[in-house]
Amino acid sequence: MKILELKNISKSFGAIHALENVDLDISQGEALGLMGDNGAGKSTLMKIVAGNFSPTNGEIFVEGKKTSFSNPLDSRNHGIEIVYQDLKLCNNLTASANVFLGREINSGFGFFSRLKHTAMNDRAAELFGELKSETRPNDLVERMSGGQRQAVALARTRLSDPKLVLLDEPTAAISIRQVAGVLTRIKQLKETGHAVILVSHRMLDVFECCDRVAVLRRGNKIADKPIAKTSPEEVTGLITGALETA
Amino acid sequence: MFSYNRLLFLIDHLIWGILIVVFVFFIFQSEHFLTERNISNILAAAAVLGVLVAGQTFVLISGNFDLSTESTLGLAALVGVWLIVPAGTPTNGGGIFMNPYLSIILTLSMGALIGYAIGCLITVGNMHNFIVTLAALLIIRGLMLAFTEGAPVSGFNNPSADVFYWLGHEKAFKVPGFGNIFVAVLATGLIYFICHLILKHHKFGRELYAIGGNRDAAEALGINVNRRIRQVYMLSGILAALAGWMLAGRVVSIQPNLGETFIFTVFAGAVIGGVSLQGGRGTMLGALGGVLLLSTIDRGLNLMQVSVFWIKVIQGSIILVAMLIDAQRVRLQELSNIATSEKKL
Ligand SMILES: Nc1ncnc2c1ncn2[C@@H]1O[C@H](COP(=O)(O)OP(=O)(O)OP(=O)(O)O)[C@@H](O)[C@H]1O
Ligand SMILES: [Mg+2]
Repeated sequence: MKILELKNISKSFGAIHALENVDLDISQGEALGLMGDNGAGKSTLMKIVAGNFSPTNGEIFVEGKKTSFSNPLDSRNHGIEIVYQDLKLCNNLTASANVFLGREINSGFGFFSRLKHTAMNDRAAELFGELKSETRPNDLVERMSGGQRQAVALARTRLSDPKLVLLDEPTAAISIRQVAGVLTRIKQLKETGHAVILVSHRMLDVFECCDRVAVLRRGNKIADKPIAKTSPEEVTGLITGALETA
Repeated sequence: MFSYNRLLFLIDHLIWGILIVVFVFFIFQSEHFLTERNISNILAAAAVLGVLVAGQTFVLISGNFDLSTESTLGLAALVGVWLIVPAGTPTNGGGIFMNPYLSIILTLSMGALIGYAIGCLITVGNMHNFIVTLAALLIIRGLMLAFTEGAPVSGFNNPSADVFYWLGHEKAFKVPGFGNIFVAVLATGLIYFICHLILKHHKFGRELYAIGGNRDAAEALGINVNRRIRQVYMLSGILAALAGWMLAGRVVSIQPNLGETFIFTVFAGAVIGGVSLQGGRGTMLGALGGVLLLSTIDRGLNLMQVSVFWIKVIQGSIILVAMLIDAQRVRLQELSNIATSEKKL
């Protein structure tokens, strides 16, 4: 079943056309690699799906139902989780506080509710363990290495059981060992019937764990092929413009 | 063993050490310092300042400023008293003789409304918080002066108004060694406790730290940042009005310049207490330390009969020293980060 379908999505920032009539879909158990040059519009597309931007034009369908996201919570409630390219971490807060930001565990209701610090720290520690990260829940994010910061952002996507996970260059700042961890995680997600969109500049990663690759160039989707029917050379050509379409 | 973390911990709690040193210094300087009457006075002065600092702490943590609270305090005191005193000539009341409970509700609502208006101008009007609150500071003060034509408002011999003056005036109980504890002091203590709970243990507080730390991230994670900022200014307005109500009970008549230049002391208290002007950092406990230190120094210098001019110089210097310590804190933090990452290599 198609988890997400984008039809004719366009997005302009003033005079800049970041996206023009992009169609994209992804099904259960599928991993899609989204590639393209700097400024091609990859992050913009991810932010539209995550509810950060509303598209200037076009339609979004989640599991066949037409939807629009007015904010990131909407998108989350539809089962979509994202790791942003710039991670969106608060340096002044602890790892655990960052993981749970916007969906803290509370006891009580409304004004009389109270944060359950221990429950959140314990859960965060579990998540870091699963991610094989040495991050401790009570450490301040400002005192963390790039990889630990990425682990914090990744842990957020595991708080719920999402249908679709968007990863915007999740391997840009991490060590080889941790890259392997992220790729394994993507494969696990696929096997358990989740869908993943991986935005990456690393050809190897995309060819290792994705089933399909789509290429954006200057806001247009110029290719969308099964991995089996393409090659790193072809995709490189598509990204750089040496090949027009495929 | 030397460790940056231990040093950072010390700096974070330095305020309490300084408070003790300053306290002991004044005990030796003036025989009147360690008297019940004086301690009681320090606490009463700290109460009003403390309420303003509490509001400012919330605003600062969210990465904003509120310069207008000294004017809101003045206006609230003026309007509150004007509402309850009997009709007469402007210099002797000239009020509207309202039920004092109603006047309290109206006064606090006015503070909320002022804060809400400021919050809307900043979030909806997309204006800079410094300019908006500076304009509000001037406008509200101007309104006070225009309203009274520069004359004070008084009329305190009105028995039905006792409930209004209760907050600032009434002694709650006597503690040996500390003298009379005013209701105002208890109220401020309660406010600090509640504010502490909100900042530390409530989602609202957590979100304010997030907004002050990385507004963009807070927004991306679904926090309604603009709504929170409006709420913070509303809270600041309510607390400023409450401080005005409190102060009204401690003065004989409301001068139209009541509270003028108080905002400098408010910022000094917050900053000395470790609340960052950059947003995202600070605790109620620290702010409380800042408030107590400033009130103690103010009273102590008064008792030593230091001239008011020098008191200003000293206050300015304290702010500089506090900022200097804070700057070292940031440097130490970086050094300690390097130390931790080197240990890992
Ligand atoms: N908030 C914004 N306001 C204005 N322009 C924007 C905004 N976000 C993105 N753009 C513009 O949209 C275009 C696409 O940007 P986007 O971030 O989607 O590229 P990208 O493919 O993710 O690039 P990279 O590989 O460098 O991450 C760029 O020209 C960028 O300047
Ligand atoms: Mg990008």
